[in-house]
Amino acid sequence: MPGPSISAAELTRHGSRALMLGIAGIVAVLALTAVLLFLNLPDANAFNARVERVFVENADLTTGAEIKLLEILAQSGTAFSETLVSYRIVIFVLLIFATGLLVTSLFMVVTLVVLNRRLATVEKQGLQVSALLIDRATNTVGINDMEFRLTPAAVETLAVLAEARLDDDMLTGAAIESVISGRAEAECDEAAGATRIKRLRDSLGNQLISEVLVKNVARQGYMLAIDARVIDLR
Amino acid sequence: MRHIFAQGAFLIAMALATQASAQCYADYKAKQDNPLRLQYGLIELPASACGSVDAATRYAAPVIARSGWTLLQIESFLTQDQFDARSANAGAIHLRR
Repeated sequence: MPGPSISAAELTRHGSRALMLGIAGIVAVLALTAVLLFLNLPDANAFNARVERVFVENADLTTGAEIKLLEILAQSGTAFSETLVSYRIVIFVLLIFATGLLVTSLFMVVTLVVLNRRLATVEKQGLQVSALLIDRATNTVGINDMEFRLTPAAVETLAVLAEARLDDDMLTGAAIESVISGRAEAECDEAAGATRIKRLRDSLGNQLISEVLVKNVARQGYMLAIDARVIDLR
Repeated sequence: MRHIFAQGAFLIAMALATQASAQCYADYKAKQDNPLRLQYGLIELPASACGSVDAATRYAAPVIARSGWTLLQIESFLTQDQFDARSANAGAIHLRR
């Protein structure tokens, strides 16, 4: 079943691209905010500079008492600007938290969307193969979590098909027979390959159906392994 | 002849004396940083620095800097009377030695 598994992979790829863009956007916006925050808050010397300007621009601020007052003004401004610095750090930490939370929630949303779509595909598909393991030594085939025992000939046929799939090749019946028997393809019969496929389908299909649809409970009998609510008899 | 010489010498001496007494005074504002401290002060300038605020600033800045202050600006040039009147307010008075 190559079609659905490819579309699932595509979903994941689209999702991760959206996630990357979203995270980059969030980080960019909040980094810009942080930069503006640090640029726009007055620094510790802003108050001193202002007091200094007042002192220079007013010619009659010359007596000792007036100058003392101006100095006190500058000192209180400096004290205030120190509290501003601590505010700035608090705001910056909050910004970092906000970034983390936004990134996490975006990740969650994208994951949910991707999972929902994949779930919908799986529900329609019935069986989606996400792992196929062929073990020639023990003649077993693992499909997802299910394990099936096949005849050596059927395992060989499945292995040939799997190798062809990895190379994106199509095999005719004669080609399958030629690969398995080792003879030249011209000498092989199309029907021989078709028979191998038929045996593989019979053997594997039988076990698959018994696993996912018609369950055989030992010494009790047979039962459909599906939810009773989905059955609609007309 | 000697009389004329004496007169000339007197004139030259007078001219030198006026030159020497052609110094002036200015008041200025200065600051120190961290913490900010402000100062209003008086400074005696040589004749060469009496012409303009720029010249006075060039002369006064290093003098004031020597005592640890940064010159903000020269306020105005003062006569001897104004100098005496304002010296009570001044935080520092720089006289030429």
